[in-house]
Amino acid sequence: MTKSSLHYSPLFMNIFNVRASILLLLIFSGCYSLRPSGGGGKTDEVVERVINPKDVALPDGYVLSTLARNLTYPSGIDIDEQGNVYIIEAGYAYGEDWAEPRLIKVDSAGTITVIATGKKDDAPWNGIDYHDGNFYIAAGGQLAGGKILKIDMQGNVTPLLQDLPSYGDHHTNGPVVMNQYLYFGQGTATNAGVVGEDNYQFGWLKRKPEFHDIPCEDIILRGKNYQSPNVLQPGGKEIVFTGAYQPFKTPSADGQVVRGQIPCTGSVMRISLAGGKPELVAWGLRNPFGLATYQHKLFLTENSYDQRGSRPVWGAGDVLWEVNQGDWYGWPDYAAGKKIYDDEEFKTPGKPKVKPVLKNPVKTPPKPLAILGVHSSSAGIDFSTSAVFGFPGEAFIAQFGDMATGVGKTLSPVGFKVVRVDITTGVIHDFAVNKGRRNGPASWLKTGGLERPVAVKFSKSGNALYILDFGVMRMDGKQSIPQQKTGVLWKIIQK
Amino acid sequence: MTRRVNTFGMVALMLAIFSCASRKAEPIAPPLALKTSTFIHGEQVFMHNCQKCHPNGEAGLGPAINSNPAPVFIKAFQVRHGLGVMPSFKKDEISKQELRDLKAYLKVLKRNRPLPENL
Repeated sequence: MTKSSLHYSPLFMNIFNVRASILLLLIFSGCYSLRPSGGGGKTDEVVERVINPKDVALPDGYVLSTLARNLTYPSGIDIDEQGNVYIIEAGYAYGEDWAEPRLIKVDSAGTITVIATGKKDDAPWNGIDYHDGNFYIAAGGQLAGGKILKIDMQGNVTPLLQDLPSYGDHHTNGPVVMNQYLYFGQGTATNAGVVGEDNYQFGWLKRKPEFHDIPCEDIILRGKNYQSPNVLQPGGKEIVFTGAYQPFKTPSADGQVVRGQIPCTGSVMRISLAGGKPELVAWGLRNPFGLATYQHKLFLTENSYDQRGSRPVWGAGDVLWEVNQGDWYGWPDYAAGKKIYDDEEFKTPGKPKVKPVLKNPVKTPPKPLAILGVHSSSAGIDFSTSAVFGFPGEAFIAQFGDMATGVGKTLSPVGFKVVRVDITTGVIHDFAVNKGRRNGPASWLKTGGLERPVAVKFSKSGNALYILDFGVMRMDGKQSIPQQKTGVLWKIIQK
Repeated sequence: MTRRVNTFGMVALMLAIFSCASRKAEPIAPPLALKTSTFIHGEQVFMHNCQKCHPNGEAGLGPAINSNPAPVFIKAFQVRHGLGVMPSFKKDEISKQELRDLKAYLKVLKRNRPLPENL
């Protein structure tokens, strides 16, 4: 080859560069199926959790400290008029690990005082709202059904509402008080409307084999049925078919009407603070976990579909919604306002496109305020109201982080941080996130930073932000392995 | 000599691909200087369509965009036509103007550098 033969025309080089770039892209994106899952739970057992606020990056001018540690599965936080901080410990974590649900007070020195304890049957306690001298708690009731509990300052517990359909994958959540009503979320029984093998792995299907999702209004099905092994039979070799909104092993028929009921799953409901029957606010929400009010409006975070079970859905980001009375938000046929069916965006790689289960959408779903990371488990939410703290009007969201591969595959850890969202534009910024070349929980990064933020709450003045960190939850394949006494209460202020 | 240069180039390329920091958003990096409406709008297009799989351009459900060495016009091609498991976004989902703004935003994001103390 002569030297002159290496002189190429600019046009040739451009074509060459384009082809080389496409080849590079193919190399990087074409082998997705071959790449292993890289979720944040894929880590070793934590013998003793190390805490080091300096391992967390914050915007310039903010300082992080810890207020309490060694908590077991903390899940919710609120603050009274005097500035006392109250948190609840759930008493249950995925992986079927049970502990005692507790309402505890944390003073400014980090000393813990137990106000009330709950029953195992009522766990997980998922959320708390302090209002006018009482605490309102969403009790998930994995064993005995969901409840709304009222607890006074002396620790006396009164159920305001019980027998909520909370035996499944997702539980009774929230709650929040607005205009003398208590609003709460009720998660769905299943990932995408169909009971299957994944629900057996969660643990509840063997306890409640007749349980399934319940619509809030009448719906008409398409008769689409899903095949799975009969996991309730020893050996599980028999193949069975299950339809949407049906018990396991029960097929649906084209045109079949499923009657709506209240209470229902996948919804926001409310009751008067004096008690009484629940009323429907909105539905079509997979797992409405975090509820908050801001300027007399209701907002929530929805944990969206997983890539699991008989009807897996790929690529559905968690959602921040404004909740409007009477709206339907799209589950089980829409995600973040978009159809999940007949669309490659939500198709599991290597599998056919998702098919709809409803004959017609109940309504046109609204547009979301923001779309958060797929499998980020966007959980507790609160709004900044203080110019002193900064970002007034923005929503702060605790992201529990992925549970891959139980929820599907991720190439890298997702979540494990606190983000802030401009609700007028949908722009999301990290606010508190672990330092390092990659994002992930502290146990994965081997640092002393955040593990799994589950709730956030601003002080009454708005000048401090509390972050409740659930603690370590590892993943062994699809199995969750939570670790007790690894939860932390963090506090952020301006310098 | 040429072989050495080629080897060095390949090593440098592999280093650039595999170790180039993908974390370019605040607070790991300084806030982005989005000075024009194009960049601001591009950021919103990114948030509505890309953020869920590539949070802040980092890896998540999908691979990192920030450390991908392909030029932005190739990434725009991928947005429009899809590639591998990435879905395509037609003009009724991301318009021509939105795609232009998205490209401008991706350039600004890619140029941002993490603060050394945060890595």
